[in-house]
Amino acid sequence: MLKIEGLRARIDSKEILKGLDLAVGAGEVHAIMGPNGSGKSTLAKVLAGSEQYDVAGGKVTFLGEDLLALAPEKRAAAGLFLGFQYPVEIPGVANMYFLRTALNAVRKARGEEELDAMDFLSLAKEKMKLVKMDPAFMNRGVNEGFSGGEKKRNEILQMAVLEPRLSILDEIDSGLDIDALRAVAEGVNALRSPERAMIVVTHYQRLLDYIRPDFVHVMSAGRIVKSGGPELALHLEEEGYGWIEKEPTSPAAGRPAESRP
Amino acid sequence: MTRAEESLERLLASRADGEPGFLAAHRAEGAATFRRLKLPTTRHEDWRFTSLAGLSQLELRRALPAGMPAAADLPPAPRIVFVNGRHDPALSDLAGLPAGAVVQSLADALARTPELVEPWLGRRVPTSDHAFAGLNAALFEDGAFVVLPEGARAERPIHLVHLASGAAGAAMHPRHVIVAAPGARAEIAELYAGDDGAYLVNALTEVYAAPGAEIAHYRLQREGAGAFHVGLLEVEQGRASRFRGHSLAVGAQLARVESRALLAAEQADCALEGLYLANGTQLHDHLVLVDHASPHTTSRELFKGVLDDKGHGVFAGRIRVRPGAQKIDAAQSSSNLLLSDDAVADAKPQLEIDADDVKCSHGGTVGQLDPNALFYLRSRGVDELTARALLTYAFAAELVERMGPADLRDRVRRLVASRLAGGAALLEAA
Repeated sequence: MLKIEGLRARIDSKEILKGLDLAVGAGEVHAIMGPNGSGKSTLAKVLAGSEQYDVAGGKVTFLGEDLLALAPEKRAAAGLFLGFQYPVEIPGVANMYFLRTALNAVRKARGEEELDAMDFLSLAKEKMKLVKMDPAFMNRGVNEGFSGGEKKRNEILQMAVLEPRLSILDEIDSGLDIDALRAVAEGVNALRSPERAMIVVTHYQRLLDYIRPDFVHVMSAGRIVKSGGPELALHLEEEGYGWIEKEPTSPAAGRPAESRP
Repeated sequence: MTRAEESLERLLASRADGEPGFLAAHRAEGAATFRRLKLPTTRHEDWRFTSLAGLSQLELRRALPAGMPAAADLPPAPRIVFVNGRHDPALSDLAGLPAGAVVQSLADALARTPELVEPWLGRRVPTSDHAFAGLNAALFEDGAFVVLPEGARAERPIHLVHLASGAAGAAMHPRHVIVAAPGARAEIAELYAGDDGAYLVNALTEVYAAPGAEIAHYRLQREGAGAFHVGLLEVEQGRASRFRGHSLAVGAQLARVESRALLAAEQADCALEGLYLANGTQLHDHLVLVDHASPHTTSRELFKGVLDDKGHGVFAGRIRVRPGAQKIDAAQSSSNLLLSDDAVADAKPQLEIDADDVKCSHGGTVGQLDPNALFYLRSRGVDELTARALLTYAFAAELVERMGPADLRDRVRRLVASRLAGGAALLEAA
């Protein structure tokens, strides 16, 4: 589904991603872990098309398309979704209106019929139940005055409504109490399917108790330096990230085993 | 003298006699004021950012009677309609006024019951030291005379509509006088629209809010693209009265709205707000003067500009606190959103405070669309043009949503959205 080869990205003139490789297949959940500053969030934003970063090299293929050539909205239409670490507050744009505009833009791009207000409302209600979100939030400005947990629920709600093929969740667990974390994880798990894939970016192993990954990758200094199964996350929990920097870079960076000849 | 001043001088000289004494005196004072002051130039402190050079080159003449311009779309009743400064009874519909309320042509009132107008006309207007107020006094032909009796409650907004349909140089000076007796409550909406000629509308509205009266006043300025619109709103507030003034500017090549509020007695509360959307080479200028003449009075000002292309927005706000007027609470804010590199915003707050126990604040921002918010919307599939329109609309929405009457708010929503590049998508999805 997604293949990243030698991706390099800069902000201003500082290189953050330094030749990153990763392959994600349909139905898989990949966790990307790593210390602060290792480039996890940069990877998430570059994949979604943030203009904050300059892509300096490498190639990203998503469902057979050259992802880096697409504008952010085209990436969304192609089925890519970024759950933001810091969702943006947009006072003055009602959450409901925003979500319907987004869904209809994506449906239109896919050649599907747009939903009218009534059909959208029933869809939104169903999805709100999934993430246990208070319907009152739909009439407020996008993320306006939402708590950290409410913002993250709103991200998952958007994901549930847009039904992307690939979801990249950037520190979706940060700032959540245990109940909010469960609700968010349930929402994410409900969307797991053989056609969909997910990349879960997190600093802590805790999230992975709720969203079980198939693969775990460790990032350091702009590259994936270690990949393995879920047990790698547990190892990180016990040992911290210190040992990563001491070990030589793993030659099997990226997807383990079959993805690398 | 400029060409406009010469032509205005001819208009001043040709006024007919035979009007009641108080009106003749008012006109004479206004004419003398204009002859003395002439059209303001940018050397005048209140006109520093707003040049009338374009207006001064026009050969101004009295606007001729005309029918309704094709583009006009009339609001629901109750409404009183003026075309080129003259009352048009056929387009007016006064159904739905509260019992005892009077909304009529000012010219009719001056002809039939001048004694009812005399106590109010020009009472607080700066006829002796304001060029456009002087010009309006000397040359106004008609406008609305609105009287709300004690305790009246207007259920529906009262619309004062001015339509302009004129050849280049047509000059109109509508004059509205609004009197709210104690405890009266009403929403009054002035609507200005017109065709594309280079005409001048010099409107003057005086509002007298007696103790406990509550007036919400809206001004929707969507003059034609060639127009010069100059408006003066003069408000006098009695004890515990409330006045909310909202100004929306989208039209005209140059529009200047000056709002002046006198908080004459304790507990008077005033809010003046404005939203302006200037693109092309439009200039929208708001000057606000709030005079806290009495202790325990409050005022709020909130103005926002959306400036695109070579659009120019000007806001100047003056808060005056008179000696001994303690326990004043006044706040002023003006923000501008610049959508292009050539757009210009000028803001000038001024506080003149002669009392020591007061709370006065002012603030403002000038900025561009937030790139993070833009990316957020685009990452959800919203195309760039629509995302920009959405965020621009969101900046303005705070003011749009304060437009009280639902019908008016809806009009304003459409008007604002239709002015934004990509805004059509917002209307479709709404």
